[in-house]
Order: sequence, then structure tokens, then C-alpha cells
Amino acid sequence: MLPEHLLLGGMVLLLIVTLISGARGLALPIALLSVGASAVAAFWLAGTGFTAQPFPGQFSVSPGILITKGALIALALPVLLMSRTDFSTAERGEIEFPLLLVSSLYGMSLLPSADSALVLFLGLEMMSIPVYALIVLAFRRPQAAESALKYLVLSGAASATFLMGLSLIYGTTGSMGIEAFAQALAASDLLSRTAVVLVLLALFLKAAVVPFHAWAPDTYEGASVPVTAYMATLSKAAALMVAVRLFSGVTVSGPLVELLAVLPLVSIVWGNIAAIRQGSLRRMIAYSSIAHAGYLFYAFLGNADGRLEAVTFYLVVYSAANLLAFAALPAHPDDAVRDRMETLDGLFHRDPFAASLIAIAMLSLAGLPPFPGFTAKFLIFRNVMAAGYNTYAVLGLVGSFLGLYFYLRVVQRMFMNNSTVTAHTSPGMALARVGGVICLLATAVLTIAPGWVLARI
Amino acid sequence: MSDALLLNLVLFLPLAGVALLALVRANAVAVRITTAVVMAVQFVMAALLYAHFDGGVAGLQFATSVPWIADWGVSYAIGLDGVNILLVLLTAFLGPLVVLGAWTSIEKDITFFHVNVLLLQFAMMGAFVAQDLFLFYVFWEAMLIPMFLIIGIWGGARRSYATVKFVLYTAFGSILMLAALIYLVWALQQSGGVVSFAFSDLMRAELPLNVQTTLLAAFALSFAIKVPVVPLHTWLPDAHVEAPTPGSVILAGVLLKMGTYGFMKLGFPLFPDATQAFTPVLMTLAVVSIVYGACLALVQQDIKKIIAYSSISHLGYVMLGLLSLDLAGIQGAIVQMVSHGLVAAGLFLLVGMVYERCHTRELSAYGGLARQIPVYGVFFVIFTLASVGLPTTSGFTGEFLVLLGAFTAAWPQHLDGNNLPLILSITAVTGVVLGALYMLRFALTFLFGPAKAPHQPLMDLSAREKSVLAILTVSIFALGLFPDSALRKTELAAKTYQQLVSTSRIPANAR
Repeated sequence: MLPEHLLLGGMVLLLIVTLISGARGLALPIALLSVGASAVAAFWLAGTGFTAQPFPGQFSVSPGILITKGALIALALPVLLMSRTDFSTAERGEIEFPLLLVSSLYGMSLLPSADSALVLFLGLEMMSIPVYALIVLAFRRPQAAESALKYLVLSGAASATFLMGLSLIYGTTGSMGIEAFAQALAASDLLSRTAVVLVLLALFLKAAVVPFHAWAPDTYEGASVPVTAYMATLSKAAALMVAVRLFSGVTVSGPLVELLAVLPLVSIVWGNIAAIRQGSLRRMIAYSSIAHAGYLFYAFLGNADGRLEAVTFYLVVYSAANLLAFAALPAHPDDAVRDRMETLDGLFHRDPFAASLIAIAMLSLAGLPPFPGFTAKFLIFRNVMAAGYNTYAVLGLVGSFLGLYFYLRVVQRMFMNNSTVTAHTSPGMALARVGGVICLLATAVLTIAPGWVLARI
Repeated sequence: MSDALLLNLVLFLPLAGVALLALVRANAVAVRITTAVVMAVQFVMAALLYAHFDGGVAGLQFATSVPWIADWGVSYAIGLDGVNILLVLLTAFLGPLVVLGAWTSIEKDITFFHVNVLLLQFAMMGAFVAQDLFLFYVFWEAMLIPMFLIIGIWGGARRSYATVKFVLYTAFGSILMLAALIYLVWALQQSGGVVSFAFSDLMRAELPLNVQTTLLAAFALSFAIKVPVVPLHTWLPDAHVEAPTPGSVILAGVLLKMGTYGFMKLGFPLFPDATQAFTPVLMTLAVVSIVYGACLALVQQDIKKIIAYSSISHLGYVMLGLLSLDLAGIQGAIVQMVSHGLVAAGLFLLVGMVYERCHTRELSAYGGLARQIPVYGVFFVIFTLASVGLPTTSGFTGEFLVLLGAFTAAWPQHLDGNNLPLILSITAVTGVVLGALYMLRFALTFLFGPAKAPHQPLMDLSAREKSVLAILTVSIFALGLFPDSALRKTELAAKTYQQLVSTSRIPANAR
């Protein structure tokens, strides 16, 4: 549990150092150090082929799990790096942001290892609760409170539904292990069916699958850019990690196929269509993330072979691209205007580097080769086809085509329109750029050597 | 130096060029010279490949194959056969000419423009040398992005509309092709247990007719949009009209060949039974493209649109030749691909040159150019005649062989006693007449009659412009007078194609 311990150590250190010594400036470096060390530890352990069960039946680690964990934790580094732009002073949450983020990350790092419903639930809640506070941290934004409340209520409802489903499963199978979910899936009694549906609905809510998506655009828009980046990527990854754990080894069949195919398909189509009309990058990313939740749940059709690889690879590619876009977003004195589409007009002429990074992010999200978004999508649709769901695969691909337009619009605005705003600088921008470059490097590796990465998941 | 290494170098040289541009980015002249030199070196290397290519050997030459994504059977597999080598040579040949032609027409963001041209060159080259379906698809789609930027940033007034239309049209076709290729690989795995994207393995996949038909439809849609075949052609005039001159040259010179190349290399050979079954439909579309494209070219007022529609007509011949399955027809299709690349590139350069001087593309605004700028007039007449297919030019060789093939072809059995092939072949001939009509109309109003050009006096061609056009002229006559060299190199590849498409690939138990 070394990666988790390092995160926990970071949290404790953050509390001690900042509260007792009052050295506020140290908060971000400590958080970076602990998150970085945790990711390195996870990768290093995976490299040594480490396998263990510190809590049998509750929590286990294997090289594959550690790689997933390490990748998710590492993706929090850019989030931390880009936080300086918004959380730079004491009254703006200079300490709170790193602390809350590391706590949330700790919850998330439990998920890939969870062997029982209890740990899954704990991890999910520990991940979500700090996010409520993170959203409100953007004090100056009037929508922040509304945004946080929406997320709180919806996320709370999701947790309640999830817990209800889990308790029904416990009631019918008498087991808290994740294999109980597979048993419930196989059973055909009403109670088991209800339990499965409740759990799935909770996951759909967390991942913002249509028709449980309405909270996402408002919440994303109300939060500050780094928090939105975190929610769009890692907290979505958490919901998918829960799903992967619950469905591990399960071949989806029967009426569940319809549930797992139709709603995600609607998500793909609706998310992509609604994204076209959005005026701000944050709202656009919110709708696009609704579509991406659809692709991700598509991976659950058919048998379990290759599902973990497909989902993990997709999550890493998708997160890297989203974080790249947010990290490269130039500074602006007014946060609400910062990600307006009009602000992006002619960005290439003001700041070619930022525009190029955002363009790469958009093209990767659109799934255009040679960017890794294509490889990730390919992997998922290959699994769907191999499972025999050709119609769903074709419909999903055509749905993904709808998304091309708005991603290209962003590129068009940056490269082909004339600039209407002047360039702004902010002291945090250099750090954010470092975060962007990290994501760019990750994207490059995923482009050139997807086979190398996949062999290690 | 081993030949396989040489091919890898030819492929990756443009990427190295991009890195070089990063070093000299501040200086516009240095950027242009660097790009031109990189392209020229690439051409020399491609010419070496062509010289070393042995027409007497069937199958791939200069091949490299390295596993890339081993678990999925994807490999970095490149190599050349008799068809690829010609298209690689054409792409490399046009590269430096595009840069030279763009010398004065591109004035803003010069470095970024050349980066895009180099990336496009890399992607096009990659699509022509790829021998793995996944790799091919990656290059195929990767071409979209630089072309999107080239039209969108340096294009005309309606560039935004045209560039989005271009990308959406082509990407829609590609999405269905992606679904089809995933299915194809899965079907191969089911029947033979091999997980592979290699062309050579996929050509062994045996599929029932209904599956072949569905997959061919998906592949064909993607390729037909790129060709473009009527009625999927509407993006092309818009893209051409709005693209800057170098963009049009690349689009007409190389990119349009992607579609016919795709049909020849993948679409038809992968699904021979479906191809045979749909020959009448596909042939009809090809002939409709020939005649309809020519008719539309006849009535255009925009000089770029005339050439854009004529491209649709000329590529219809390529489709016809490929479908004839006659050796002469196939060879003619290959020559026509190269010939159209050279002629259309030349015509778009000519139009670009006059546009730079007069800033209008309205045909009615021109007249009497031959007297004002005689050297330009001479070149214009040469390219017009090559486009019409005057004997001794490359256009003649291509069209003649295609029509010969169409008339003498042994059409599929189910067409016996059916007059359709004959009717279509005769209709295709009228395309030649219409071609003469619209090109001569164009030349007549453009070059002769009273002078109308608003900008007086006009500068005749500069040394740079003359040399670009002279090189193209020489190549057009070389291909027209001595097509033997090219035909010898392509003969075996054409035979392989003929044999692949003629052999049924329906599994024994489904016949």
C-alpha cells in the first residue's frame, strides 16, 4: 500500500506544515511531491511484479492494478500544476486546494484495488466529498455555490442509490465481495435485478450518462478550471474504475445488454449534438465528456477479455487530452470569460504554443488518427464488434462522427479567426504549461507506442 | 544503403523537414528553401527507388515489417509494388513543385504553412507505402488535418465552410470504413485464427457474399467520396475554389488519387465477389462521373471550378479502367492516375499564377492573355491539350488504354447478353469529346479575343514559374511518348490486381 501511504503522508504533512508553521507557500510543493512520489512508487512496484493482499477479500494489488493506479495518480500532477492560476493566495484556497485534492485522490487510489463493495463505496465517497468543497473554493464565482449544490445533491443521490443496490446484493447473496455483484447479475429474481439496476444507475449518474447527465454542464461551468479538469477526467475515471471492478470477469448478456448499450449510445449522440451549441469550453467539455462516458460504457458489452485494458487505456488517453486542453488555456482576468469560445478566437496568433496544445487535445478527443484518441476508440469498438454487437458498433461510430464538428470548430476558431482579445499573463501560467507539457509527453507516448503501454496494463 | 532503408527515409524525410523548420522558423526565405530542398531530396530518393524497382518481380519490394501493436496484429509494414511505386514517385515529384509554386502566393504564417505541407506529404506518402490496414487508416485520416488547416487558414473568402465540408465528408466515409475494417479483421480471425492487419493476410479472408457486399459498401463509400464519384463529389469544387494554389495542387495532384488507389489496393481485391456483383452499378457511376463532371465543367464561370469538375470527369476514367478488369484498362487506369496528377497540378498552378496577377477567378473577366503574356499562353495551351488527351501527351495514353480496356474487356458472366457494358463504354467516349469542348472553350475565352484583364500591364512568367511548368511539361510528354518504362513496372501489379478481383473468395461451404 505504499502509493496510498505516500498520499496519506502528504495529507498529514500538509496539515502540519501549513497549520502549525504557517508556511502556506509549501502547500503546493508538498502536494506535488507526495502525488509524484505516490505515482512513481506505483509504477516502480508494478515494475517489480509486486502482488499482495494486505486485507484479504478487501484490498489487493497486482502489477496491472498498480499501473492503473499509478497512471490515475500521475494525471493529478497537471491538475495541481494548473491550480496556481486560480488558487494563488490565502483567501483563494492556496492550502485548501492541494489538501482537498490529495484527499480526493486517496479515495480514488483505493478503487482499482477494491475487492469488496465496502472498499468500493468508501473509495467513491472519499473521492467525491472533497470535490464538493473544491467546487465552492472558487469564491468569486457566483455560480460556484449553485454548482456545488447541484453536484452535492446528485452525487448524494447516486451514493444512496449505490448503497441501496449494494445492500440488496448483500441481502440476497450474503457477501460483500465484488463477486457478489456477478452472482446478482446471473440471478434472475426481482431483488437481484433491482440491485443490479440500482448499482448501474448510480454509476451512470456519477459518470454523467444520459439521462442522468443534466448536472454535469452546470457543475463544470460553475467550478474553476482546475476543478473542472479534475471532475471531467479523474472523477469520471473513478466511476469507471468501480464499474470495471464490479464487472470483472463478467460476460454481459441478456436484458442488461440493452441497458448497457442503449443509454451509452444515447449519451454519445446527445452529448455530441448538445456540445455543438455551447459557448464556453467548459460546457463543451462537459457535453463531450457525456459522450465519452458513452464510449466507455460500450466497453462493457460482451465478454470481459480486454475490457480492463480498453477502459484504462481510454481513460488515460481521454484524461491526458482533457487536462492538456485545460492546462494550455491562457490566463484571463475574468474567469467566466477565460474559456468563452470568443476568447479562443485567433489564439494561434497570440500564443501559438497554447493553441497547438489545445488543438492536439481536441483532435485526440475527436478520435482522429494519428492521435491516441483514435487508438483508444478503436480498442473499444473492436471489443464491441468482437462480441458480435455490430449494429451498436456502427451506430456508436456514426455517433462519434457527430462530435467531429465541434472539436474542429475549436481548432478553426484558434487558427482561422481573427483575434479579438489581448493576451494576458498570470504568474501561475508557467506552472500550468509544465502540466500541459507533461500531458503532451503522455499523449506522444500513447501515440507512438500504444502496444508498449497496453502490454503493461 | 539497403533499399528498405531508403524507403523508410523517403517516408520520414518530411518529418525531419518539420524539425529543420523549427530551427529556421524566423526567416521566410530560409523556410521556403529548406522545405524545397527537403522535398527535392525526397524526390531524388524516390527516383532512386523507381530506378531500383524491378518490374519483373511480383509482390512487394523494399519491404519493412515491424510489430507495432502486437496484441492486435498491427504492424508497421511498408513496401512497394508496381502501383505504389508510381504514386510514390508522383507524390515526391510534385512535392518540390508545390513549394516552388507557393513561393509568392502564401504570405502569412509562412513557417506554419510549410509545416503543414510537409506533414501532408508525410501522411500521403505513408498511405501509399503502408501495407497494413491499420497503418493505412492512420495515414489516410492523418491527411485530413493538415489539409483542413491549409484550406482553412490560407484559403479564400468561404474557406471556413469549404474546409469543414471537406473534413466532414471525408471523415464520414472513413468512420464506416473503420467499422468495416474492424469487422474484416475479426472475420479473418474467426475463419483462420490469424489476427493481422497486413494486406497480404487480409487478402486471404473468405467471406460470404452478403458480408462482402456490406463491407465493400463501407470501403467504397469512403474511397468514392475521396475520388470523388458523382453524387458524392460536392465537397470537391468548394474545397478547390477556396483552397490556396498549393492546396489545390496537392488536392488534385495527389489526394484525389487516394480514392482510386484505395479501390485498387483494398476495396476491389478484398471483396472480389461483391465487386463483380456490383460492377454494373459502379461502372454506371463511373461513367456518370465522366459525363456529368464534363457537362458541369462546360458551364462553370469560375476558372478553378472548371478544372475541379474536369478532375471528376478524368477520375471517372480511372474507375472505369479498374472495373474493366482488362489488363490494358487497368494499366490505363494507373497511367491516368499519374497523368491526371501531373496535368491537374499544372493547370491549378497556371490558374494560381494568373490569379496572383489579376485577383479574380471569373472567366468572363479574362481575355486575350496570349497576347499580353505569351509564355504563359504557350504553357496554358500545352496543359489544355494534355488534359484533352492529345496524342503524345500522358492524358492520351491513359484515356486510350482505359477505353480500349472497356471495349475489349471480358465482363462478368452475369452481364453476358447484356448491352450495358457496351452502352456505358460508348457513353464514356463522349466524355473525351465533352472534355475537348470545355477545355477549348476555357482556352479560347481565356487566351484569345479582346484583352479584358483589369490589371495592365501583366507580368509574364518569372524564371521560377517557367521552370516549374517546364518540368511538368517534360514529364507529361515523357509519360505520353515513352509510357513503356512505367507500364513495364506496373504490369505485374496490374496482373495481380486482375487475378485477385477475378478469383472468388466466398467460402466453400457458402457457395
